[in-house]
Amino acid sequence: MKYKDYYATLGVARDADADAIKTAYRKLARKFHPDVSKEANAEEKFKEVGEAYETLKDPEKRAAYDQLGQYAAGADFRPPPDWGQAHAGGQQFSFDDLDLADLFAGLAGRGGGAPRGERPIPGNDYEAAVHLTFEQAFAGTELELDLAAIEYDEQGRARRVPHRMKLRVPSGVTDGQKLRVPGKGGKGLRGGRDGDLYLDIEVAAHPVFRVDGMDIHVDLPLAPWEAVLGASVELPTPAGRVTLKVPAGTRAGQKLRLGGRGMARPDGTKGDLYAQAQIAVPTVTDEPQRKLYEALRDASNFDPRAHLS
Amino acid sequence: MTLEFAQAVYIDDGETITFAQLVERSGLTADELGNLIECGAMPDEGASTGVARLGERCILVARTARRLRDEFALEDSHALAVVVRLTQRIEALEAELHRRRGGR
Repeated sequence: MKYKDYYATLGVARDADADAIKTAYRKLARKFHPDVSKEANAEEKFKEVGEAYETLKDPEKRAAYDQLGQYAAGADFRPPPDWGQAHAGGQQFSFDDLDLADLFAGLAGRGGGAPRGERPIPGNDYEAAVHLTFEQAFAGTELELDLAAIEYDEQGRARRVPHRMKLRVPSGVTDGQKLRVPGKGGKGLRGGRDGDLYLDIEVAAHPVFRVDGMDIHVDLPLAPWEAVLGASVELPTPAGRVTLKVPAGTRAGQKLRLGGRGMARPDGTKGDLYAQAQIAVPTVTDEPQRKLYEALRDASNFDPRAHLS
Repeated sequence: MTLEFAQAVYIDDGETITFAQLVERSGLTADELGNLIECGAMPDEGASTGVARLGERCILVARTARRLRDEFALEDSHALAVVVRLTQRIEALEAELHRRRGGR
């Protein structure tokens, strides 16, 4: 097991009192919190600071940590032989499978190792970020997730156990949404409920489709004559290409709605897909086309700026 | 290594849980949770019956509150409720901004 110097992480002396530890933590938490920090490696730093404070703020855990001895940060070490007896109620650890954070997290749910009656202890909730493509979010998907959870064997020994989970993600999930996987968090103890796994969904932006709530938006470029005369055009949708009837006189910015072709809602209904008309202007390169435009100009009394005069 | 199969589910406000269940699942104290309900961060759907019942989505609010409490060492439950309410307002404004930009 690698030693971590929690005092150095918080920048306090080993004999610092509880107030000094709290003050140091608050200062560093504000500095490195991922939601507010612009510093490089802020998230990693914040985790280190949080881990150190989690142990040093609790007098029992701090005493247990101090009893481990003092080593250089990153040095391999083993706790003293009687450490488990003194601080973990005789609990045995497979130290090779744990890091320092696991060791103290293991003490937390177990009352510092000492039995605290037969009260059930619920398992911890886990959280994992899941990155999906737009297509996966639209249609739903299956993905594999690797987790490493602390578990306890029949003798109460803590160890880190890798799990691979095949997850079915329902269709219609959106960026920033959270999903729950019931019972897939940490194991409960003494009949306590198992924790849940929470998934933080991140959906990559799509070059063609934009999601707004449960609706999907797509740009629909039209040739001037398609907009004026109307046309049947092919339009990509997430479920495949469709033929869309564009009514005559369609204006730029107008939205054509395709009902029920948006994202799926939990109740089974679906949002809509909106195709927003854009008038694409062709580059006229040859004389016959130029003459046609000139003839149209001469024949038309259309004034696109009438409302400005 | 074991391979487990699991289904991720939407967090459904159609389902409700009790105050005690939310205390157990969130890791917040009853006092902290009570203040969150009182300040409007979590709508109590059982208020008319006198027995607090909360939408399942409240678990997310409560988990955020616990994370903020732990990460910023917020010990005053009233202050925690204010921070959660401000966080909710920021999220609502960001969502509105995103919507007005057309999801771009």
